[in-house]
Amino acid sequence: MSHVLVALRDVGKVWLIQRTGERVSALESITLDVAPGEFLILLGPSGCGKSTLLQIMAGLETPSSGEIRFPPLAPGVTANGKLTSMVFQDYALFPWRTVVGNIVFGPEVRQVAKGEREERARRLIDLVNLNGAEQRYPHELSGGMRQRVPLARALANDPQIVLFDEPLAALDAQTRRVLQDELLRIWGETGKTFVYVTHSLQEAVLLGSRIVLMTAHPGRVKRIVDVPLARPRHATGRAEAEMLDQLDGLLGEEVKRAMAI
Amino acid sequence: MTASHLRQIASVAGLLALWQLLVQTGKLSELFLPAPLSVLASMWEMTRSGQLPWAVLVSLNRVVQGFVYGAAIGVFLGLLAGAVRWIEDVLDPWVAAVYPIPKSALFPLFLLWFGLGDASKIATIAIGVLFLVLVNTVTGVKSINPVLLKAARDLGATRLQVFTKVILPGALPNIFTGLRLGAGMALILVFITEIEATKAGLGFLLWEAFQLLDTTKVFAGVVTFGLLGVATTWLLQWLERVGCPWLQRSN
Repeated sequence: MSHVLVALRDVGKVWLIQRTGERVSALESITLDVAPGEFLILLGPSGCGKSTLLQIMAGLETPSSGEIRFPPLAPGVTANGKLTSMVFQDYALFPWRTVVGNIVFGPEVRQVAKGEREERARRLIDLVNLNGAEQRYPHELSGGMRQRVPLARALANDPQIVLFDEPLAALDAQTRRVLQDELLRIWGETGKTFVYVTHSLQEAVLLGSRIVLMTAHPGRVKRIVDVPLARPRHATGRAEAEMLDQLDGLLGEEVKRAMAI
Repeated sequence: MTASHLRQIASVAGLLALWQLLVQTGKLSELFLPAPLSVLASMWEMTRSGQLPWAVLVSLNRVVQGFVYGAAIGVFLGLLAGAVRWIEDVLDPWVAAVYPIPKSALFPLFLLWFGLGDASKIATIAIGVLFLVLVNTVTGVKSINPVLLKAARDLGATRLQVFTKVILPGALPNIFTGLRLGAGMALILVFITEIEATKAGLGFLLWEAFQLLDTTKVFAGVVTFGLLGVATTWLLQWLERVGCPWLQRSN
């Protein structure tokens, strides 16, 4: 078996709604391995617990059952950064920090020397194409530029895995297309493992090397699909369309099932 | 200078000129409304004799001390109460009980406890400032988007770092609101505490002049209080610009 970065075994998450005392099962028996270097998509309808799953991987939530393991790294690979770093939905930028200030937050709190973290910030600003905007505050950026900052901020901790929680959902279609390409370029250039939550089939097929199709209420893994398509992929390509069609059928059943509840 | 500025200046100058004219022609009595120029002359006279600067200095000493103590404690407790649930639970009933009390009503008690000197006045001002700053600081902490706290933790911040690098700057705009309200409160309270049991300060000067029916001097005191109010507002606005540079909207 090839090396894995994260191993989820039978992971479940139950939320307690305090007001009613109700227990709601958000995730059930999730078993999943994240392989190094892959672009793993968590795809599913709203309410399927994919964000919760991401937060469990980030260590921001603990599973109610099952276990999450981070096997030791392969020989020769050293982890000088954090294992995971998250790109939140709605940016989650610190409004009182400039672009650079946001990017260096991780290294700063983890006590990386000043010179070194500034050097890192410079490289990342180059990587995500934010040159010239270093000293701006988040509210002074356009939507497309703003979304580059949390990615650079996440990468500043040099994580093994970058976790994305629907990062492009709030953007218009054209900006989204541009950023999807940028994301693929950065994925290629950094060699990082990306785990990416989305509810967009198109996005899943354009970006993913593997797609985890999830069901709703409770969130389970319905199927894990490899995406063998060559890159660069095209939104209008024939093979892409076939893949889309196949996934659409699978996801459609789930959406109907979810709505029926 | 814009037309708006001109209208504002014309408004003030016009009304003052009319006022001066009405007094000089005997339509208004100097006993009730002394002429602007008389007030100015009185202020100049008291400045030359050192009476007014001294009074201002004495009052400012009380205001600044009370303000600094009250603000420091208010910010400190507010940040803790906003961030830590049990501290909020411990403080909450006390805030609910003391906040609605007019702080001037506590002055007699403080006179009893801290004596006739500056301490009782400083304590009254500090309490007034403290609660305004505390309540606004708590609001500031609660208004921070929880996802920012999550992001900070995800990036590796310790609890202390979350406090200093997220909660403090996140609450800063509301803290400044509290400070501005507190500064106004401090000026009100310094006047009230200087009416009784003191022989110095701007409030004392004003009240003594009233008891002697020296209305011109009363006006001089009122105008000086007004100038102090404007000066503190400017100072705090400047501090806010320096402290919260991200709040300045670009054009």
